[in-house]
Amino acid sequence: MNLERLPNEEKLGLCRKYYLGGFALLPFLWLVNVVWFFREAFFKPTYAEQLQIKTYVKRSAVGLLLWVAVLTTWITIFQHYRSEWGEVGDSISFTIPLGIP
Amino acid sequence: ICLRFCKSAGCARGFKQFILYSECVLCNRFIMLTIFFLPGISSNSVEKKIYVNLNYTIPCVRLLNATHQIGCQSSLSGNVGVLHVLDSEDNLEWVLNSGPNPPYLVILDYLLFTRAVMMKLKNGSNRVAGVAVVAPTINPSTGFSPHTTCPNENTGVYVEDYDPAFAHCNVTVWNPLGNGLSYEQFNFPIFSLKDDNETQLIRQCYINHNLAVNNNAPQYPLCAMQMYSHMSAVTDTSTCMRRSDKNSFSISPEMVCDPLGDFNVWAATRPLNVTSKGHKMWESVVIAAARLDSRSFFFDIAPGGESGVSGFVTLLAAAHALRNITQENHPNRTILYTLFQGETFDYIGSSRMVYDMQNDEFAVDLDNVHSVLEIGQVGFWSDSKLWLHSDPVSRKNGSINDELAANQSAIPVEEPGFSQPLPPSSFQRFLRAHPIPGVVIEDHRSAFTNRFYESMYDNAEYLKVSYPSNMTQEEQLDFLTDTAKSLTEVATMVARTLYLQAGGAETQLGNINADPQIVTRMLYGFLVQSNNSWFQQIIPSEWISHLELKLLYHHCYLPSSEATFLVQYLLANLTGSIVNITQENCQNQREDQDDKESKHIYTYMWVQGTLPLNSTERHGFCVRSTVHLSKAVSPAFHLQEYNSKDYSTWTESRWKSIKGRIFLVASHDLEMLTLGVGFGVLLTSLLLTYIVSSKADILFGSEREPSNATY
Repeated sequence: MNLERLPNEEKLGLCRKYYLGGFALLPFLWLVNVVWFFREAFFKPTYAEQLQIKTYVKRSAVGLLLWVAVLTTWITIFQHYRSEWGEVGDSISFTIPLGIP
Repeated sequence: ICLRFCKSAGCARGFKQFILYSECVLCNRFIMLTIFFLPGISSNSVEKKIYVNLNYTIPCVRLLNATHQIGCQSSLSGNVGVLHVLDSEDNLEWVLNSGPNPPYLVILDYLLFTRAVMMKLKNGSNRVAGVAVVAPTINPSTGFSPHTTCPNENTGVYVEDYDPAFAHCNVTVWNPLGNGLSYEQFNFPIFSLKDDNETQLIRQCYINHNLAVNNNAPQYPLCAMQMYSHMSAVTDTSTCMRRSDKNSFSISPEMVCDPLGDFNVWAATRPLNVTSKGHKMWESVVIAAARLDSRSFFFDIAPGGESGVSGFVTLLAAAHALRNITQENHPNRTILYTLFQGETFDYIGSSRMVYDMQNDEFAVDLDNVHSVLEIGQVGFWSDSKLWLHSDPVSRKNGSINDELAANQSAIPVEEPGFSQPLPPSSFQRFLRAHPIPGVVIEDHRSAFTNRFYESMYDNAEYLKVSYPSNMTQEEQLDFLTDTAKSLTEVATMVARTLYLQAGGAETQLGNINADPQIVTRMLYGFLVQSNNSWFQQIIPSEWISHLELKLLYHHCYLPSSEATFLVQYLLANLTGSIVNITQENCQNQREDQDDKESKHIYTYMWVQGTLPLNSTERHGFCVRSTVHLSKAVSPAFHLQEYNSKDYSTWTESRWKSIKGRIFLVASHDLEMLTLGVGFGVLLTSLLLTYIVSSKADILFGSEREPSNATY
């Protein structure tokens, strides 16, 4: 799909869908939203729906950053302490590396 | 050379080899890339050009218990190090400090495989990639034992609450030569190599490339070696058992370790119903015990000549000596021959049998046990004397003294004469559960006579099982060695003692004599060549391939090892009788079609029998015996108490590949240069493609309008 060829209303609809979809614990939708609509929101000459798109993109970006922060923190903690947690650590692991604690 | 044959699967590796190793440095990068995309062509010759694979590599593997991990391991992709042949201890300086090309892979002569050297290497392990020990063809003249000085220190009977004075080998250090290497944890792989052509090749490679001239750094390319022995399990038994649990949350659960275990072999002189477990009224058994297993620092080479074979061969010969007399004139009590597996690892076999007896899972229980006679290490008694060890704590009670005194006449042996605890023995596990009278026969008064306890040198040579040269295998099998003669005497004594102990008449003793022919054949079979004509006769035909392994002794693991299996058939043949029934009935454990009872009492084995001259057809026969197997897996695993202090918790890690190879390695700078040039070519080609693509209309004319991109 080429965004260029889409009417503005449909752009807004699409942006909203991605924005709302992100709330279903799908931060990648927000990522896609930000990447796709960044140009539309901030670099295109103004049009009626742009303000709304801008809001969605900003919020998506904030949500995405929040996710990134939370995940990074958790992954760091998990990787660092997994072996110390022993049984608990193993029980919350999908794959357990071989040959290291 | 690198270019012609490359299999698609092997290509990634071929590519890496190209970058890393000097032999391929001259190859053209561009052609390599082309090869990279050519499917279906073999890269084997590339590999052969670069690597020399070592055929004989015996690793040290990782074992775990409730609190520790011991043994060795490499990283997942193998440890690579520049070869360094260590010829003296002073030379360690080069490896640990001054050498310019760490990490080093140290080739050790067996004389340098000592605790001092190994500990220095262990502590400098960021400069040590691995160690290979060149095993000698003849035994060292000094002693060597990688085991601890106090074997099975914490799982015998002498713990603090039994008698603090005897705990932790306070009175007698049984294995003073023990350096404890087998119980160390190393962060690098350690292999054993045979002293043969391969080792010569390694030395030659070292001399040609790595030898420092006048203490200058040697020039690249250097000779390097890679060792793979990555171990899956880690930390301790409870961790690895948890990770091996199939019900875990993990999406790809994989077994990472297995409990050490095998089977005990036992037989009774009077048939016991094995289906009904627990206490048997009016039954009184004398247990005659020996151990079946052995260990060494390296995984596969634990001949256990003195520590295991001498004892159980004596027991088997004694069982054979008692066969006829117990059939004709059975004494009041039953003699129970038991051969325990896994005793090295905190008495796995005996602790399980005692546990089964306590929980009514065995044919008899502890109250049925009248006494225990255990045969320990007896291979060297002819040089000195035999010693009867008994437990000083229970001796104080008085009851056992009488039993011993009654038997003094039968055995011309001595007691140590001072208050000394029992040596490491299976009997300790019985005492731990129940004050049972008993003795352990050994060839040492206090510390072991064995200079090579639980090491790879405790072999036929050490036990003096040697044959005149120019003998054929068949002649060797029947040749009476001095060791066999002396062990026969021990077996006769043991048999007579057992007979008396079981309540037999003293007048019969003259009829009990062990057969030296049987002893010498067993020694030959267990220490020299198990694939011999006698062993072939007494096992079923489908098991013949199991005889191919020359050395019988391994760590114990399930399913049963060759030693268990062979001893099971030997004991059956030596104590059982040949019955005239069909192969079908024999294999179905019955005397005839209607027989449903015999299988609870007897074991029927169809063995392949002798190969008559000028014939290819063997005449098989059926052996009926009371030989049974019982599980020798530590009760800790039955109870799932992986932190148990009472029972053995040893597990063995799993691994995927054990291999070693040598090759020439290029200098780091050259590797980086090659990689840099590669990237340069890649970037140039990308740039070129981009330019060509963007100027396509100029370069290829303008007949065709570039179409608008539609997505």
